[in-house]
Amino acid sequence: MAYSMNQSASNDDYEKIHQAFENIKQKYRNDLGEKDVRYIKKIRRNSRIFEVIGRSLIHILPGPFALIGVPFLFLHRNLEAIEIGHNVLHGQYDSFDEIPQFHAKNFRWKAPVDETAWRQEHNAVHHVHTNVYEKDPDLNHGFLRVNSQVPHVKLHYFQVPIYLFLFYPFMLYNFNAQNLGVVDKFRKKYFPEGNKGYAVLDKELRLSKAEGMKRHKRAVRRVWAKEYVFFPLLALLTGFGAIKVFLANLLADVLNSYWIALTIQATHFTEPLQPEDAIKNKGKWYISQLDSSVNFKGNRWQSILWGHLNYQVEHHLFPDIPAHRYPDMALEVQQVCKEYNLPYKCNPSWRVAIKKFVGAMWTYSFKNPTVPVQAAFLDKEVGSAK
Amino acid sequence: MLNKFLSVLHPWLIKTLGRDRLEYLASNTINEVTSQLDPFIWTYSCKAKVIDIRQETADTKTFVLLPNQHFSTPIAGQHIELQINTSAETSASRCYTLSEITQDTVSITVKLNPEGEVSPWLHHQAEVGTVFDISLPRGKFVHRDQEKLLFICAGSGITPAFSMMGNVVKKSNDPQIGLFYRTPTPENTIFSQQLSKLESDNKDVRIELSYSRLPVDIVTPSCMDQLIAAFPDIKQQHVYLCGPELFRNDVIQYLESIDFNMDNLDIEQFTLPDLTLQPGRVLDEDVSVTLRSQNISFVIPANDCDKTLLEAAEQQGIVMEHGCRSGMCGSCKTNLVSGEVSGNKIGRSIYPCTAYPASNQIVLE
Repeated sequence: MAYSMNQSASNDDYEKIHQAFENIKQKYRNDLGEKDVRYIKKIRRNSRIFEVIGRSLIHILPGPFALIGVPFLFLHRNLEAIEIGHNVLHGQYDSFDEIPQFHAKNFRWKAPVDETAWRQEHNAVHHVHTNVYEKDPDLNHGFLRVNSQVPHVKLHYFQVPIYLFLFYPFMLYNFNAQNLGVVDKFRKKYFPEGNKGYAVLDKELRLSKAEGMKRHKRAVRRVWAKEYVFFPLLALLTGFGAIKVFLANLLADVLNSYWIALTIQATHFTEPLQPEDAIKNKGKWYISQLDSSVNFKGNRWQSILWGHLNYQVEHHLFPDIPAHRYPDMALEVQQVCKEYNLPYKCNPSWRVAIKKFVGAMWTYSFKNPTVPVQAAFLDKEVGSAK
Repeated sequence: MLNKFLSVLHPWLIKTLGRDRLEYLASNTINEVTSQLDPFIWTYSCKAKVIDIRQETADTKTFVLLPNQHFSTPIAGQHIELQINTSAETSASRCYTLSEITQDTVSITVKLNPEGEVSPWLHHQAEVGTVFDISLPRGKFVHRDQEKLLFICAGSGITPAFSMMGNVVKKSNDPQIGLFYRTPTPENTIFSQQLSKLESDNKDVRIELSYSRLPVDIVTPSCMDQLIAAFPDIKQQHVYLCGPELFRNDVIQYLESIDFNMDNLDIEQFTLPDLTLQPGRVLDEDVSVTLRSQNISFVIPANDCDKTLLEAAEQQGIVMEHGCRSGMCGSCKTNLVSGEVSGNKIGRSIYPCTAYPASNQIVLE
C-alpha cells in the first residue's frame, strides 16, 4: 500500500517537507562547479584507458586467453552506458559550458539506444510518474507483471526464465522497443486485454513506422559497426583471429546488458504503486518518489559501476544533480526522512535486492499469488491505484 | 596539404552522404582526437566554410558558403545570422539574406559598409577556406506559391528577391515575375548580368531598374511614377517588399494611396540583432524567443509574460520537450544563449517549465 502521512497531516506539513528537499537540492546546485567537470572527465578518461587495454588484450592474446581482456572492455562499456551515458542524458552536466560533449542534447551513447526517445520515456515519464499504474513504462519493461492489477496472460507464467535468460542478456537492445512504441503494438495484438495494465507511449510522441525504424537501426548499427564489424575486421587484417574478437566483444556486450538489467530492476518494482496526482501536489511528489524507490548498499567504487543507481532514492528526488553527489546527499535525505518520519528504504546488498525482485517476478507470474508473510515488501493493495 | 585535402573532402562528404547521414556519422565519432583533426565536421556548432568569392560590383561581393551537417535546407528568401571573431575576445554578428541556394551551398551577397564591423571583415579578411559560425536559416519572408509575383526592392534588398526569383523560375514552367529594383547607378547594380539573363531567358519575367543617383542633368520620373508605369497591373500581383526603411515606407505609403490590398504584401521584417541588450524587461513590451535547436522564433505578448516559458510557447502552438511541469525532472532543461530569464535556473541552464522571461529577447539552445 502506498505510503500515506498520518491523518492529521496538513498542507503545512507537506509544504515543510517540500521545502526541506528543495533546500538540499539548492545547496547542491549552488555547489556545482569545477569538481563535477573534473569528475566526469576523469570517468571518461578511465573509460578510454579500459577500452584501450581491453581491446588490445582481446586483439593480441590467442584463443581463450583473450577472455582476460573482456573485463576491461566490460568496464569501458559499463562506464559509458550508465555512469556517463545515463547521467549525462539526465542533463546533469548541462550547465557546464566547457564540456559540450556531456550536454544531454549533444551526447551520443555507446549503447544501442536512441537518445531522444530515451529522454522522453525515461526523464519525462518514468521519473515523473514513478510506479504509477498504467503510467510508468518501467514498471513493465515489456510485458512484465509485478503487481496483481496487471491482467494475467499465459506468457506471464514464464516471465522469470524469459527475462533472466532471454531479455536481460540483451536488455539494452530492448529499450528502443519500449521507447519507440513497438511493445505497445505487440501487446495490443497478442494480449486479450491489449494494453490494459500497461503504460503506453503518449500519442504526441508516437513516430511514424519509418522514422521509428530509422532511429532504431541507427542506434543499433553504430554499436554493431564498432563491436562486430570494425574490430573483428581489424584483427583479421592484422593477422589475428576475427571470430575470437567477435565473441569476446559479444560477451562484453551481454555482460554489460545483464549488469545493467540487474541494477535497474532492483530498485523500483518491489515497491508500492503510487497515486497518479502526486506530481500536482507540493511535497507529495517527493514522498511518492521516496516510497517508490529503494536503494541498495555498496561502497563508492561499486556505486560508480552501478552508475550510482544504487542511490535510486536520491536519484529520483534529484534526477539532474550529478550522480557522484548522491552518497553525500543521502546523509541529508536520511536526516529529513527521520525528522518527518518518512520512508527511506535500503536493501543491505545488491544480492538481497536481486533476490527480492526476482521473488516479485516469480510471485506475480501466477494469476492469484499467495503472498508469503516474509515478503511483506510485496504488500501492494489493489485500491491504491484507479 | 591537409587544408587542400579537406577543401576537397568536405564538399564531397556533404554531397555524397547528405547532411543527415553525415550528422549521424560525425556525432557518433566525435572525440578529443577527431575534433582536433577536423573541427569543421567534428563539432557541435553550425559552421560554414567560404568556398568561393565573387566580385559583384565595386563594393559588393558574393560569398559562396558550404555549411556543415548541422545546417538545414533553407527556403528561398530566408536569411542566416553570421558570427565572426573580430579579435580573440570579441565577436560580432549580422544577418544576411541568402542570395543563392543550391543543394549543398548557400551564398550571401554583402555590400561593403566601411563603418560597419562585419562587412569590412568579410571583404578584407575572409578568403576561400575561412570558417565561421552561422545560424540555421530563419525568416518567414519566403515564397508561398502565389502565382503572380512582384518584387519591389532597393539596394542590397535585392538578395531575397534574387534567390526567390531563381527558385520560382526553376520550379515553375511559366513563371510570372516582375522586379522593380531601385539601385544607385548602372555600375552599382548588384546581379545586373544575372538579372538581364533571367529576363531574356524567360518571357514572363519583367525587370525594371530605377536609378537613384544618375547625374542631375538626366531627367528621370519619380520612383513611384516609374513603378506604376512599369507595372500598371500591380493590384493583381503579390508584392514582396525589401529594402532600407525609408524606401519601404515610401512604397507602403504609395500602395496605401492606390488602395492596394495589404494582404497581398509581404515585407522583409529583417532587423539586425539587438546587440545592446537591455538588462531587465520593460513591462509592457513583448518578448521574442528563439529556440535554436528547433529553429523556431515566437513572440510572447506582454500580458502573457507572467506565464512560464513552456506555457507561453504552448500558447503559440509550439511544442517544447517537457515532463513534470514543476521543475523536478529536468526534461525541459535547456541552455540560455542570450537574454535573461528569472525563476528556476542554474547559471545558463534554465528550466522552461518554471522560468519566466526577464529580457525582451531570449535565445535558447
